[in-house]
Amino acid sequence: MARLSFAEALVEGMRHELRTDERVFLMGQDIGKMGGVMGGSRGLIEEFGPRRIRETPISESAMVGAAIGSAMVGKRPIVEISFGEFLPTCMSQIVLQAANLHYMTAGAVDVSMVLRTRIGDGPYRGHPQCYESWFAHVPGLKVLMPSTPTDARNLMIAAIRDPNPVIFFEHMWLYHGVREEVDDFPVAATIGKAAIRRVGRDVTVVATGWMVHKALEAAETLALEGIEVEVVDLVSLAPLDIDTVASSVRRTSRIVVAHEAWKIGGIGAEVTAAITEACFFDLEAPPVRVGAPHHPLPMAKPLRDAFLPDVDDLLRAIRQAMAS
Amino acid sequence: MSRPNGPGTGEGGNLGSTVRIGLLKAMMLSRTLERACCELNPRWFPAEGEEGVIAGTFFGLRSDDTMAPHYRGPFLAYALRGADLSRLVGQALGKANGYARGRALGFTGPAAMGIVPWVAGDLGTTIGVATGCALGFSYEGSDRVTVCSFGDGTTNRGDFHEALNLASVWKLPIVYVCQHNQYSISLHASEVLPIEHLSIRAGSYGMPGLTVDGNDVFAVHTAVRDAVARARNGDGPTLIEARSYRLGGHWASDPGGYRLPEVQAAWRDKDPIPRAISEMVDAGELTQHEIDAMWGEVRHAVDEAIVIAKACPDARIEDIGSDEVFAEVPDGTSAPLGARSGSWRA
Repeated sequence: MARLSFAEALVEGMRHELRTDERVFLMGQDIGKMGGVMGGSRGLIEEFGPRRIRETPISESAMVGAAIGSAMVGKRPIVEISFGEFLPTCMSQIVLQAANLHYMTAGAVDVSMVLRTRIGDGPYRGHPQCYESWFAHVPGLKVLMPSTPTDARNLMIAAIRDPNPVIFFEHMWLYHGVREEVDDFPVAATIGKAAIRRVGRDVTVVATGWMVHKALEAAETLALEGIEVEVVDLVSLAPLDIDTVASSVRRTSRIVVAHEAWKIGGIGAEVTAAITEACFFDLEAPPVRVGAPHHPLPMAKPLRDAFLPDVDDLLRAIRQAMAS
Repeated sequence: MSRPNGPGTGEGGNLGSTVRIGLLKAMMLSRTLERACCELNPRWFPAEGEEGVIAGTFFGLRSDDTMAPHYRGPFLAYALRGADLSRLVGQALGKANGYARGRALGFTGPAAMGIVPWVAGDLGTTIGVATGCALGFSYEGSDRVTVCSFGDGTTNRGDFHEALNLASVWKLPIVYVCQHNQYSISLHASEVLPIEHLSIRAGSYGMPGLTVDGNDVFAVHTAVRDAVARARNGDGPTLIEARSYRLGGHWASDPGGYRLPEVQAAWRDKDPIPRAISEMVDAGELTQHEIDAMWGEVRHAVDEAIVIAKACPDARIEDIGSDEVFAEVPDGTSAPLGARSGSWRA
């Protein structure tokens, strides 16, 4: 048992697979001597050397292509795109090649690769945009967004072992901002399941990544007022575990969906639509969505604070859901 | 003789007779098979005139090497790996017997064939994927190589530059062959390339680059063979510009109208197949009778494939495979997500 940060747990997950499977390697920028952006691969170069911890040129499209091709010949690559903001530079490789290959070859080809990247606001206020919903829209990709150290480690293991392309989003506030006791038994967690982080009977709050922790904070506050909030951590954006959300909503009859990404077209829109279809007659109130306003994320702190959905926004949204 | 980083002409004189006959037959098969697909599917991409590049590039590789053929004339690579011709034709027609079961336009086959399928609608990403295959070979320390072809238009994609740079930095075992047919649909290379010989681009990636006459199949093959040997030896990638001309349209029913007929006619006279034939007949390597027999054999095989493919039903609705988007996750690898364990705050 060790108390690990989210970042340390991620590295533990990669380390476990690097130790046990010779086919696994990591490539990305600054992942060697520097220890990775925000320590995202700290210690790996020392243990595994430059053949398996491969520094790359700034060539995201070639990096993802190289991951796909090496996966096709039996390797298990992890490719790190330093920040989500760089994903548009390798979009064709992800959505045209990685996502399509298995289906279009009628199962002849598997693309067992992990693409990990950092998103969201963070301590350095750099490269924060959240683009995860783009990837949930495209068939053929698994999209993960863990919020706890244990899940970070065990889902990383699962992602590496999965025979499909997995896009792994790491929220930057979680990196050093969240710690927990992590057991000594690294295992592959099941991909495609949501997790209930707090049980409550009055209202379901569905959240992703860092927003899960804000939702838990809001739930603490509302508990003092006698409102029992159930917090569902989506964890996997694709496949989307609507069953877990729906069974929660059938108990609470109310739903709030929250993420840091833009509200319009975000994954919350899909969750809200799916829940409206599945649970329309169970709902006591219209669903409420929390997300960023529809403009680019500004840089200066006061502007950014105004832009980012926070605990107050969640409190307002939950009270709105409770009011009707 | 070819020289690094600049124009030159390959020299095919040192190829054995078996290889030369094999190359001729490969060109004949590519011509006959692709032409048949064009006749049956007006949206197929004519490769006529470019068979010298196609055959010269993919002939004679080891069975454990990977091929990443250009979308124009892809089927020879599959045929060289033992593909069932009727399944290739069926694939071009969206028939149920196609390897892709109607799910992709045409360029795919079983994984064991070691061919990078063409599933993306863009140009250039296949170069990155092919480079990844070479990375896999380098990583495992084997002497397998990848040979990748693409058009002249694709060399303006960022993916081309990124992949060549990466391959050179990591000394990957890959040969890049530009199947230069002078056209990006309707645009002539001179309108979109500021240089005459794109092989000089290799210099900026620190790899050898050479230009060969793409209508001389023996020259192309010699250049590729040497580059493959170099890659196999761990000496890294090579860029080969094989210059040819697209005799047909971009797609089979392309009305054209953007080219001068006299230029097209002049290139028709440089057709790589009659050229190789007359060279071999003049050298006494083959008789006209043997040539006729080779054509007959190839035509018979393709005709047979067409009959089988045409008789096949179109892809059936059960081939749509809505539940086959993902590869199955092997059993016994999953555990529940972590339970809540106190505070998560740092």
